[in-house]
Amino acid sequence: MIAAVSRDAALIVTAGGLIVAAVTLARTRQARLALALLLDFFTAAALLHLAAPPSWPALGAAALTIAIRQLASRALTAARDARHR
Amino acid sequence: MTLADGFGEHNLEDVVSVLVRLVEAAGAAIIFVGAVIAFARFLLVAFRREGMDPFARLRLDLGRFLVLGLEFQLAADILRTAVAPNFTELAQLATVAAIRTALNFFLGLEIKEETELIRADKAAAAATPAAAPPGTSAKPP
Repeated sequence: MIAAVSRDAALIVTAGGLIVAAVTLARTRQARLALALLLDFFTAAALLHLAAPPSWPALGAAALTIAIRQLASRALTAARDARHR
Repeated sequence: MTLADGFGEHNLEDVVSVLVRLVEAAGAAIIFVGAVIAFARFLLVAFRREGMDPFARLRLDLGRFLVLGLEFQLAADILRTAVAPNFTELAQLATVAAIRTALNFFLGLEIKEETELIRADKAAAAATPAAAPPGTSAKPP
């Protein structure tokens, strides 16, 4: 029950992230900002996936999503800091 | 026959299982509600074109919701260890707990960095317009 609900919620959040990123990109023309927002929503979706008692593939996927998110987030922060200097 | 075999352990397992589901559902609900609120506010900000500042603040708010939801999920993980699972379940539990703890740490770090950045931006914005007028008006001709 919780597994099905959290999987649906994760799907909704993923779709929301895609919409927000697309709208942000269209309105602000800031690819970095749009990517950061997309990654924020994907993290929320990965966390919702982990809410149900997870299987090994689901765990691996969530860990990979979060690792990619962290990597991209660090790279974005480094790029922003370099631009501010 | 010990107390744990006959009565105590089964009851404890039932109670812990209900508690785990409650706490886990609360964590998931917090994350989902945070994402929905962030979605609505992001769209509002994007269509109003208020500049870059509100985006940073909204990302910060979403991050705070994620951290709060994670805390609940970690609490559920800790509750799960109260009843002895088999080795595979225990390994999965350890992996989930490790992922959540690491993510909690990194999210906390990001929130701290973003907060400092917003504070620095605010200070810079306050200093720039305030510095010019008193300097120009104070000087006599």
